[in-house]
Parts: sequence; C-alpha cells; structure tokens
Amino acid sequence: MNIIETENLSKTYSGFTAVSKVSLHIPKGTVYGFLGPNGAGKSTTMKMFLGLTKPTSGNFHINGKKYPENRGSILKETGSFIESPAFYGNLTGKENLEIIQKILGLPKSAVSEALELVGLTEFKNRLAKKYSLGMKQRLGLAGALIGKPPILILDEPTNGLDPVGIHEIRTLIRSLPEKYDCTVFVSSHLLSEVELMADNIGILNHGHLLFEGSLEDLKENAAFQGYPTDNLEDTFLAMINEDNQQRSCVR
Amino acid sequence: MNFLSLIGVEFKKIHRSKILLILLAATVVLWILAILNADLNFKMQTEGIGISPENNFLIQGFLGMTWFMYPASMVVSTVLLTQTERGNKGILKMLALPINTLKLCLAKFTILLALGATQILMMTGMYFISAAIATQTQHYHFMLSPLFVLKEAGLVYLSSIPMLAFFWMTAVCIQTPIFSMGIGLASIVPSVLIINTKAWFSYPMSYPFYVITSEYGKLASNLSAGDIKLVPWIPVAIAFTCLCLTISCLFFGQNERR
Amino acid sequence: MNILLECKKMKKTGFYPAFIAGAILASCLPVINMAVRSELFTGLQQSPLRILLDENWTMMAMLNVLLIISGACIMYHTEYADNAAQKMQTLPIRESGIFFAKFILMIGMSIVVLATEAITFLFCSLHWFHTYDGLYTDLLKNFGYFFILLLPVVLLSLAISSAYSNMWISLGIGVVCVFAATMIASTNHFVLQIFPFALPLQVLTEATDKTVSQFLTASVLELLVIGIAELSFLRIRRALV
Repeated sequence: MNIIETENLSKTYSGFTAVSKVSLHIPKGTVYGFLGPNGAGKSTTMKMFLGLTKPTSGNFHINGKKYPENRGSILKETGSFIESPAFYGNLTGKENLEIIQKILGLPKSAVSEALELVGLTEFKNRLAKKYSLGMKQRLGLAGALIGKPPILILDEPTNGLDPVGIHEIRTLIRSLPEKYDCTVFVSSHLLSEVELMADNIGILNHGHLLFEGSLEDLKENAAFQGYPTDNLEDTFLAMINEDNQQRSCVR
Repeated sequence: MNFLSLIGVEFKKIHRSKILLILLAATVVLWILAILNADLNFKMQTEGIGISPENNFLIQGFLGMTWFMYPASMVVSTVLLTQTERGNKGILKMLALPINTLKLCLAKFTILLALGATQILMMTGMYFISAAIATQTQHYHFMLSPLFVLKEAGLVYLSSIPMLAFFWMTAVCIQTPIFSMGIGLASIVPSVLIINTKAWFSYPMSYPFYVITSEYGKLASNLSAGDIKLVPWIPVAIAFTCLCLTISCLFFGQNERR
Repeated sequence: MNILLECKKMKKTGFYPAFIAGAILASCLPVINMAVRSELFTGLQQSPLRILLDENWTMMAMLNVLLIISGACIMYHTEYADNAAQKMQTLPIRESGIFFAKFILMIGMSIVVLATEAITFLFCSLHWFHTYDGLYTDLLKNFGYFFILLLPVVLLSLAISSAYSNMWISLGIGVVCVFAATMIASTNHFVLQIFPFALPLQVLTEATDKTVSQFLTASVLELLVIGIAELSFLRIRRALV
C-alpha cells in the first residue's frame, strides 16, 4: 500500500517549471530516498506535501487524505524538516521543542525523548541562535521526530553534520520504520547516502522524475541502458548528464 | 577599499528595502493633511498670531515634520540598517573581509545621513507641489521663495545631525531590537516639553523642532519663541555628535566578534 | 493554551521589560509635570482628573501607541527572523489562531500599561489635589474608554506586522500612521478621528455622551473589519504560495 502518492504533480513559478508532472509512489513502512542535484525540485515537492506551496496542477494524497481539504490532518501525522534553520532564536532548544510539543498535544516526555534521539540533551538549555550548524540541524530533526509521527518528510537532513553525525542520523533514519512503524521520505543529492538508508528511490532532475523503484531495479535499469553499474554514484551522474544533454539538444 | 566605494556597497545593501517608499509616504501624508486644512492658515492672522498664511503653511508643515515624522523615520532607518546586517548574519561576513570596522561604521552612518537628506528633500519637493495645489484650492498665493524654503530645510537638516548620531549609537550598542527602537521613539516624544525650557540645547532630539519653532517666532509678529543662541548650542552639539559616533564606532561589531 | 505558547515565544526578546519600561516612562510624564508646575495646575477650576488628562494624555497615548507598534513588530520579528513561521505552518495549527493568541497577549500587556497609568493619575490626584466623590468611578470610566479605543490599534499593528517579514517596514508603516494620527488629532472631522491610530488620543472628559457612543461604536466596528481583513489576508497569502 502506498502511503504517499502523487499524480502529475507540477509547480510553475512565473515561467519557470520547478516540478513537472511528477508521479511518486511511496510504500508504507519504508524509507524512500528522493534524489536529485541541487535545484532539481526536491524541496519544492516536499513543500507541496506540507502545504507550504500550492501545486500548479496535479494532486497528491497522504495516508488516504487529500490536499488541500485535509491539510490539517495531514500535518498532524507528518513530522517535517524543511530548510533549516527554522526555529525561535531567542529560545533554548528545549523551549523550541516544547512549543511544538504543545501544538501537537503531545505528552511532556516527548520533548526529552526527541532531544535524546538526536543527541541534543546535553545542550537543551542553550539558546538556539547560539547553536552550531550541526546542532541547529539536530534541533530541526528533533522537531520532525517529536511524537513519532507515522510519516516523516526530511529535506537533506544530514547537511552540515560531521561524519559521525551523518552516520548517526543515517542509522537513526534507517531504524525508524522498524522501531516506530513509520514511513520516511528523505531527500538528498548524494546517491551514496541514499543507498545506505533507502528501500526505494526516486531520481529527479530539472523537475522531471527520471527513475522510480528499488535499488535493484535501478541497477538493472542502468545495465540495460548501458550506464556504469559498479558504482551507483557513477550511474546517477551518467543518468543526470544524459538527461541534461537531451534537454540542451531539445532547446 | 576606499571610503566612497564602501558607501556605494552600503547603498547596494539597502536595495529593495522599500525604505524610500516609507520615507515618501510619511511626507505625502503630511502634505495631504496640510492641503486639506489649508483654510486654517487664514485663521492665524485673525487669531492675532500675526503670521501670513503662506508662511504659516510652510511652518506648520515643517513643525509636523521636525516634531515627530522626521525623527521617527530616522529611527525606522536605523532599524533597517542594523537588521539588514543581523538578519542573515551579513555582519559576520563583513567582519571577515579586510575592511576597517571604523570605516564600515561611519559608512553606515553616512547612509543614515543620506536617508535623512533624502527625506528632507522629498519634504521640500512635496512642499512646492502642495503649495501649488493649495494656491489653486484656496485662491491665494501660498508659494514662498525657493531660496527661503531651501534655507529652512538645510537648517533643519544640519541641526538634526546630532540626533542622527544618537539614534545610530542606540542602534549599534543595543542589540535587542525592541529596546533600540523603543528608546529612539520614546526619546522623540518629550522634545515638545523640552523646547520650552532653557536647557533645550542639552537635548539633541529637540534641535530640529527648536530651529523651526524659533523660525515660527520670527515670522509671527505676535509670538515670542526662543532665540537661537549659538554659543552653548554649537559646541554642545558638536561634542555630543563626536561622543555618539565614537561610542558607536567602538561598539560596532563587538557583539558579533565575541 | 496557544496564549501560553505566545507568552513563551516572547521570552528574552525584551518584550515584557519594554512594556513595563514604557508604562513607567509614560507614567513619569504627569508626575514630572505636576512636580515642576504644580501651582499652575492646582489653581485651575476643572476636576483634577480633567486637568491631568488635558495636560498629559496626548503624549501618554502616543507613547502607548508607539509601544504597541514596537511590541507587535517584535512579536512577528521572532516568527520571521529564524524562519520559525515556516515551522509553524507545517504544524497542524491555524495561522489565525497564532494571530489572535498574540492579540490577546498584547491586550494583556496593554491592560498592564493602562493600569499603571491609572494608578499614577490616582496618585497625582490625591497628592496634589483633593479627593472628591466619584474620583474612582471617573478614573475607571476614563480608562475603560481608553482601553476600548486602544484595541483597534493593537489589532491593526499586529495585522501590519504579520504582513511583512522585514521589521522596518512594519515599524515604518506604524510610525507613518502615528504621525498621521497626531496631525488628525488637531482637526475636528469625525471621519478622520476614527482612524484607528487616532482613536487612543480621544479623551472621555471632554466628550458628550453622543460622541462617546459614536467612538465606541467606531472602535468595535473597526475591530470587526480589521479582524475579518486579517483572516482573509492570511487565507489569501496561504493560497498564493
């Protein structure tokens, strides 16, 4: 069963198409890696899911709920992490999470659990504006994970983290579906990273979905099309390059 | 980097800030109300104040400007100047570049001076337009000699420099925006009381208002307003300006460098 | 519950100290005025409260309005500065809910300010004048009137601040409005006087019952109009993104 499905989702900003007829299928209880170079339209797609920007055409449903009719209940079930930094600089990390906890109507313990989960417990009483980049990133993640929502939408969650932090967060994301029975929709521009966390992937370039399926499918597909397959990063780069070339030819 | 090109950079930073629009809106509001109330100018002679309607038209407008509109607009401008730097941590980048912070601080103050000059020029320009309109609506010649109007505007501007230095100092030294804004705005209000005291020269926020009030006194034959005595005033004003600028240059960027 | 959250968001922004300081500053005006020129005022014929209001209220009301504008700017500045507003949008709450919670918090702070000023007037009346029958009811009536006329300013300043992520624009608009209000105060056109930012400059003691009820009605109507306008603004802004 697909928990998130989009149908020909498009977003156009005055003459520029950010997302073009994208149809995604995200199975329940999996980690879905959303891959693409910078500016491919990943964030725009995620923002549409959260109602932060309105689709120009097409539609989507999340957990059987339609946008925009059920926006409120979609947001209740979705933890999100979009474009850090998004916090109150004048409040401590803990206070920032308490605000989210109260809005979501979660028990008080949810705050300390979320802090523990991302490893911020030690710094919970420091003002958020004094956080390092990595700590801000963790605070954002804690704001998404708080209350263990059934659906998580994470936009490049490992940006700005050190190698140890990247590893921790990756392991955490990987473990979420089993631990809390949730679905994770995570974007990245590194295939090597997605490879380590995701069950399924979707590749976006210039707003077009180039591929969707499991990692095995990707390998098969790549071999069939004559892309290098021994290193997935190369496969990804070759796919993007070819797509870019085709685009410039069309132009 | 020389000082002039630094000023150019600072001007670039306030691109699209809509500050000019706000400065203009303030002057437009002032003169629209002045045009609507243009008939009140004739009352002044009958009430025995002894000022001609055309002089009164100019003076009332300038009183409105110097008492609240101009100082308050300048407080808004300081908020603009500090927030554009602090908003996305632009100041950190600036401090990491090979620029003398003293120069940077003074360049920003120059922008404030320029914004002040712009608003006073807008004010003067709008005066001529509204005097022309009032002349039409009231069938009375309201237009004064441009030389006289420009002289008044210039005086207001010069007398406002210590005040601008004070606003700049509060904006630089007080990091909490509500306090720097609040102190700036709150310091404007009491100038009405202070210009009536002998110690007006000790309160720079009242200088422009005092200059215009005393001009009012000169133009109105039956009104006695305080004279401008240059001697305690000019030295105090210069000392005050220097003090404020020194303090702001000392504190500029300190908080970010900690 | 939302209101408590808004209270929490204002921590360490200087919001609360600013309101306390503003209240004290405005309260200093009548005290200083009386201390310096008491002979001038105690010789007047009107009731003490009337004398005090005539002499001080315009400036105090102006300080109150400036305080409210700065407060509203800070409230939305904390939302916009580190992108917290966006986080709020991804949570299942209404933006209008946040807005009205802020409104209620601001009303609370305005009551603190007005109460401080009322106590100061009481002090001045008792200290420099004599007490008289009905002083307390007079005071209550006047400050109740000020309170109701202040509400549209609170709502409108918040609406302006919610519309602009750059604080100087909200502050600039507020300042222009206050300026227009001071110019309007000297005219006698009712239509101009009900401009929201000019309302708090009205004084009860000088007004007839008819004008009082007119101003009160205007204030309530403005609250409705601004409230509805803000709701539709938030809805339209949401739809346009």
